[in-house]
Amino acid sequence: MKLPGLGFLKNVNWPFVLAVPVAAGILHICATLAAPYLTAASAYSRLAPGLPVNRMQVLNTSAPGAEPLPFMSADARYAMCRFDTSGGPVSVASTLPPDSGWTLTVMTPQGDNIYGAASVASRPTPIALVLVPSEEAFLGVTPEARGIARDIQQPTVLSAARGIVVVRAPDKGFAYRQHVDAVLKDTHCTARAF
Amino acid sequence: MHRLHKRLSVLIGILGDWATFIGAVLILGLASSWYMIDVGTRLTTEKHGPWVGWSAAGRADADPYTRAHFARLGTLQLSTELAMTYLAYADSDGNRLHSSCDYAVDGRDIDNHWWSLTVFNDRGDLIANPAERYAYTSETAAVRPDGSYSVTLSREAVPGNWLPTGGAGRLALMFTSFDVRSPLLGKTDAASKQLPVIHRVQCR
Repeated sequence: MKLPGLGFLKNVNWPFVLAVPVAAGILHICATLAAPYLTAASAYSRLAPGLPVNRMQVLNTSAPGAEPLPFMSADARYAMCRFDTSGGPVSVASTLPPDSGWTLTVMTPQGDNIYGAASVASRPTPIALVLVPSEEAFLGVTPEARGIARDIQQPTVLSAARGIVVVRAPDKGFAYRQHVDAVLKDTHCTARAF
Repeated sequence: MHRLHKRLSVLIGILGDWATFIGAVLILGLASSWYMIDVGTRLTTEKHGPWVGWSAAGRADADPYTRAHFARLGTLQLSTELAMTYLAYADSDGNRLHSSCDYAVDGRDIDNHWWSLTVFNDRGDLIANPAERYAYTSETAAVRPDGSYSVTLSREAVPGNWLPTGGAGRLALMFTSFDVRSPLLGKTDAASKQLPVIHRVQCR
């Protein structure tokens, strides 16, 4: 029995039809993976030119016309350090106050947070990081190896060539502004020799 | 002449097939990629009413769609392990947020839970206003004794928590919440996730 109206199927180029989803899938994957590299201005490329290398800088409060990034809220103050470990490790130290909403994050140029710590209300949160160009970097003989008792917090070692350390302080109103500024200014980001 | 005509027909047929093939591949491949990056799906986003949050934002193990989304947006993203950030471009009835309307954003405060609510234009710029008010946080908003709060978005000054929106055109609201383990945004019970409700009060 001949089915009416399906004659056109004989003229369809079936190899092409079957190849469409496969080729579209390959294009979908390529376009998605390439998208971060094709973007005109990532957060890192917008922030980096205004930040000194390996030094913490407290940013002005976000205001209309002077926002460093889109959707950067005025709900927080920021201190940032653009780090570059090509010349040696970079030390980062901060103590987040016993409060909620404070964070210290390490952002890569691709926008990933490779380290993040948030404050807790019950106690201060001391943070000590050493950013190194690779996991194998020699950071010197440990105090224990030299027979010296360790009396300070051992820093967390992170492998990162470039990026930005971001300290975020929540806006608590005008009365707390000086306290917030003091904590942000007390955050250190310094290069040290190999 | 007849053979030439036949050859031309075959050539046109082949070229037509290839043009259709390339067109279909471009439309399907690029459109699906754009949709996944710009809009997201249930695999990559959390939607609660008009609020949309990207589940893996800012994380080192984020999926390629999330990475591409935020690279394209050019924002500084907190890791979702620390905080969740939600954006809303519409009110709770699905109408586009616009500065020609007044809105009441009603939510509930929870102890030891830091949150913030910021209004932007739809390009992500803060809205200039003489009062220099751009955001409210759990520490700066006036909260009622029962723990509820209401933030009003309006061109004209209103009593209480007022965020000016004059002259901005289309609006975007951002809600950031710390302590993702709390019942407000906990990942165990979808029903318990209560983000602020955005009511349209009036339009002019």
